[in-house]
Amino acid sequence: MPPVLQGLITIVLGVGGCVGYFYLSNLVLDRFIFPAKGPNAGRNINRANMVRPWLFIFPAFAALGLYLAYPVVGSFIRSLYGRNPDEFVGLGNYMWLFSDGEFRQAVLNNILWAIVVPAGATFFGLIAAQLTDRLSWGNIAKSLIFMPMAISFVGASLIWKFVYANDADIGIVNAFRAWAFDADPIDPMQIPFWNNFFLMFILIWIQTGFAMVILSAALRGIPEETVEAAIVDGAKPLDIFFKIKVPQIMPTIVVVWTTITILVLKIFDIVYTMTGGNFGTQILPSYMFEFMFRDDGRATAVAFVIMLIVTPVMVWNIIQARKEMR
Amino acid sequence: MDNIAGTKSSLGWAVNIAVVAMVLLWIIPTVGLLVSSFRDRDAISASGWWLAPFATEQSYRARAGAEGVPDGDAFVVTGNIFDEAGATGSLSAFGVRGRAPGEFPVGTVADLGDGETLTMQANGDYEFRTPEEPDGRGQRIYFLAETPPDFTLENYDTVLGAGGMAQAFINTLTVTIPATIIPILVAAFAAYALAWMEFPLRGVLIALVVGLLVVPLQLALVPLLSFHTQTASFLNWLFDPDAIFNETSDLWVGDYEGRSFVGVWLAHTGFGLPLAIYLLRNYMVGLPRDIIENARVDGATEFQIFTKVILPLSFPALASFAIFQFLWTWNDLLVAKVFLPDGDAAMVMTRKIADDLLGSRGGDWGILAGAAFVSIAVPLLVFFTMQRYLVRGLLAGSVK
Amino acid sequence: MKNLMGGAAAIALMSGAAFAGGHLPIEPGSGDYDWTAYDEFAANTDLSGQSLSITGPWTGDEKAKFDAVVALFAEATGAEAEYSGSDSFEQDIVIAAEAGSAPNLAVFPQPGLAADMAARGQLSPLPEGTSEFVAENFAAGQSWVDLGTYANASGEDELFGMFYRVDLKSLVWYVPEAFEENDYEIPETMEELIALSDQIVEDGGTPWCIGLGSGAATGWPATDWVEDMMLRTQPPEVYDAWVANELSFDSPEVIGAIEAYGQFARNEDYVAGGGETAASTDFRDSPNGLFEVPPACYMHRQASFIPAFFPEGTEVGEDVDFFYFPAFEGQDLGSPVLGAGTLFSITNPSDTANAFIEFLKLPIAHEAWMTQGGFLTAHGGVNADLYADDALRGQAEIIQGATTFRFDGSDLMPGEIGAGAFWTGMVDYTTGASAEEVAAGIQERWDAIK
Repeated sequence: MPPVLQGLITIVLGVGGCVGYFYLSNLVLDRFIFPAKGPNAGRNINRANMVRPWLFIFPAFAALGLYLAYPVVGSFIRSLYGRNPDEFVGLGNYMWLFSDGEFRQAVLNNILWAIVVPAGATFFGLIAAQLTDRLSWGNIAKSLIFMPMAISFVGASLIWKFVYANDADIGIVNAFRAWAFDADPIDPMQIPFWNNFFLMFILIWIQTGFAMVILSAALRGIPEETVEAAIVDGAKPLDIFFKIKVPQIMPTIVVVWTTITILVLKIFDIVYTMTGGNFGTQILPSYMFEFMFRDDGRATAVAFVIMLIVTPVMVWNIIQARKEMR
Repeated sequence: MDNIAGTKSSLGWAVNIAVVAMVLLWIIPTVGLLVSSFRDRDAISASGWWLAPFATEQSYRARAGAEGVPDGDAFVVTGNIFDEAGATGSLSAFGVRGRAPGEFPVGTVADLGDGETLTMQANGDYEFRTPEEPDGRGQRIYFLAETPPDFTLENYDTVLGAGGMAQAFINTLTVTIPATIIPILVAAFAAYALAWMEFPLRGVLIALVVGLLVVPLQLALVPLLSFHTQTASFLNWLFDPDAIFNETSDLWVGDYEGRSFVGVWLAHTGFGLPLAIYLLRNYMVGLPRDIIENARVDGATEFQIFTKVILPLSFPALASFAIFQFLWTWNDLLVAKVFLPDGDAAMVMTRKIADDLLGSRGGDWGILAGAAFVSIAVPLLVFFTMQRYLVRGLLAGSVK
Repeated sequence: MKNLMGGAAAIALMSGAAFAGGHLPIEPGSGDYDWTAYDEFAANTDLSGQSLSITGPWTGDEKAKFDAVVALFAEATGAEAEYSGSDSFEQDIVIAAEAGSAPNLAVFPQPGLAADMAARGQLSPLPEGTSEFVAENFAAGQSWVDLGTYANASGEDELFGMFYRVDLKSLVWYVPEAFEENDYEIPETMEELIALSDQIVEDGGTPWCIGLGSGAATGWPATDWVEDMMLRTQPPEVYDAWVANELSFDSPEVIGAIEAYGQFARNEDYVAGGGETAASTDFRDSPNGLFEVPPACYMHRQASFIPAFFPEGTEVGEDVDFFYFPAFEGQDLGSPVLGAGTLFSITNPSDTANAFIEFLKLPIAHEAWMTQGGFLTAHGGVNADLYADDALRGQAEIIQGATTFRFDGSDLMPGEIGAGAFWTGMVDYTTGASAEEVAAGIQERWDAIK
């Protein structure tokens, strides 16, 4: 069988199986277990409706439980053991981490990343969404700004090597410095402290497209009356944007911000390929990768520290979701 | 909408300029890579990509021919240096020492000592005179030449011609298409239930989804892999009469494999679900309550409401998430590497490029650039065809 | 489910018959190869219908060369053998072993990982008699046995690895013409090498190209420098003690070796672009400076594999050549050589896996790659005339002429050090940190994993 055909068959089977589950399970529930006819029709409908939410969420939560919740629990237990999986060390891995200078630096850098990248991407995304909204070529502009989203992180690192390279014949930053100031090439990846921001900009560059797309939809959803009323009152464009529009799309901004924050704490590729964590640019996900497959106890301990950092964002989201439900 | 927010023509200009500036800033890095993907390795390190369309002065090394024609008491070697060096352009200076490649201006007769002389013309013709018959290799010549821009498709040729690339392309599609559709389907049902159905523990489950958003993928890889392996081993024991018990690994080995396409779909589904449920629920909560209430009053079942009302209304959100999930699975290396078997038969493009092609071609930026563009071609195509849904977009949360 | 999983397995099988029906790159019976042992092996081994899977770090060109060796094995035994390579082999093999889907054989680029896996019970010992064979037939045989012997899951030492391909690290690459044009002589001693470097600086040139960049592995080329310097400033016993951490990393001997490296790398006049540039230049790009016009540098210290990254069409021996990275005349330490190598281990035992290890003992298994270039072997029974070029023969002679041969120390240290702290420490040192500070940091890391 040619590979194309095999691919197609597997695709049809996989997707078909999934559609089949939802269709058949509902069919069975409505036709056979609690049929909405006969003497108990009314009671049956109620019963069916009590079961149905669980039918709807079962596949999702089964997958979540197996693929995320179970590893989290398993990993936490693993993080209490040493390099050798039989040797119980309690909180030893965590204690060791906090005594390690590189780890402390990675935590500080990561907190910086978790603030700067979501802020930057959301800010640029909001600006881009607002500015392109009323342009005749707005959709083209949006597509071009979104384009980095389609590039893998490794591809993005490669792209930025052509920007940052320590050689005026390869890196455009150094070429510009040489042309404008006649300066010798420098390595932006080795400028202490600021190199972190140069790396962060890569992720901002990628994620702005995501923020823009979602915020642009939210901006279009703002009822026109509120804006028109402000115009009648003589509000300036900037005021309209910041005082009328932004507060109205605040919930969307929260969603975007949360999504990007979470992404930031998972991405190791950029630092890993650009600097390998050298020159004071280490962040937790790439620090974790140093231990992966070597010392799983420490690797999982790092993962839990990462999860700890996002906890405030998480808690805030849960509160937000509870408010909505009331 | 065009007349609101006080767009005056003066502001219009400012907006246009600001957007142009931003777009430029956003695409320049990518353009750099695109241009570089059409240049060969030497050209990339010789001049910046921004100079690629212009003629540049480059230095070359070449050798004169080794065949001398007797002329009086000397031997003369003639020829064209561009032919020898395999280059084209216009010669401006030449030399015989690497340290001073442009020692002599074009057209002059250079005295090389020991009675040897060398003359070169702008078109590359040279005449080398030596009192002794040339033997072995010819005279080393360095020269500077104005070289016209040179673009090549060689990098793409190398990337696409690499053995198994077509198979890898199909494998990538085999991974990405179900890995995009399955989580969306599963998440849409769950998101609807979490947004519009009343049942106990709903709040807790929403909180759980948000909590699981932050689980780092790396954490889950090894435990899940051993879970997949044990499942396969169990299936072997259960169904496969030819299965063999392997004492070193305590597993039944047979037709079922721990690493398979099914495994990779399930893994991508699991990892993509929290974000899918989170975004879709936020969107569905924002749908008008009346529509759903009316449908319920009309006697539609929840399944009908979902398929006939919610799904069509959520189409922009579904399409947007589909794009994100597709991009993510397409560009994924880690999950594919862990959950798919080794070897060409199940190798996806990212892995083919990262582990196979780049390993042997590490320092070659031209090929790296070509490979990067080959791998983003499909995501870009998908994006440009789907982008009208994106722009209508993910109306998130409480935008009512 | 059965269909789906079975389908994936079927796909995997389809690519198995790599050389079935194809032509062998090397025809049995031809050339100056050792065919007698091969024929004998073929007559005694019949594995028709069985299969063998091998994974390793070789991709692209190197994979093609090794495929030729595998094809000879398949021809002799009738087994279906397939090799697949990956640039991130070290991760892949761990994942595969955890998944219980390890190949029959794995080719480890460094002993450290093999030792880890042996201790976890994921490797099987090599067939009996292998250690005697290696000790007798390999140059400096016992040292190769020691390097392949690790503790198993219950703590007993067994032979798990057989070295198949050797890399020579103590080499300096240069362009002979650039030397001729400037009347530079090949230095015989370290003192002469330093004098030559000074001479080049005086003439307005830059003597060295150094590149430490290697993505996540950035810094490893500097560890080779330090190891070479260690062997040139201290007796081999001190080197061994250092690698085993019996000698503390921040002891004066080690700091002295680091500073001996710094004498080159941190000298702004010596290195193209200075230490900062060295730290960010990719090791694969750094030798290009030799071939620039005018030359960006005149010498490049790197292992025997580096010609793979020279510009296309560069001929070793003509356009570029190498000399032995010399020892100090002032120190009576002979001529030490630093090397490394890849080793075969059994990750999933079977008769074919054992048969392949037996096959690797035949000279032909080495000769088949030697003729294709880019391969050095410690096997004493091969026909040295079969080396593809004089350069390789020259390198083989350096190995034979070594008074001391030591394995790349960072490959022998625990992963966190040899493939972690030592790398990043050297990057810090090259860009300006003090040797004492860096060495103390590495020792601290080492203490933490004990």
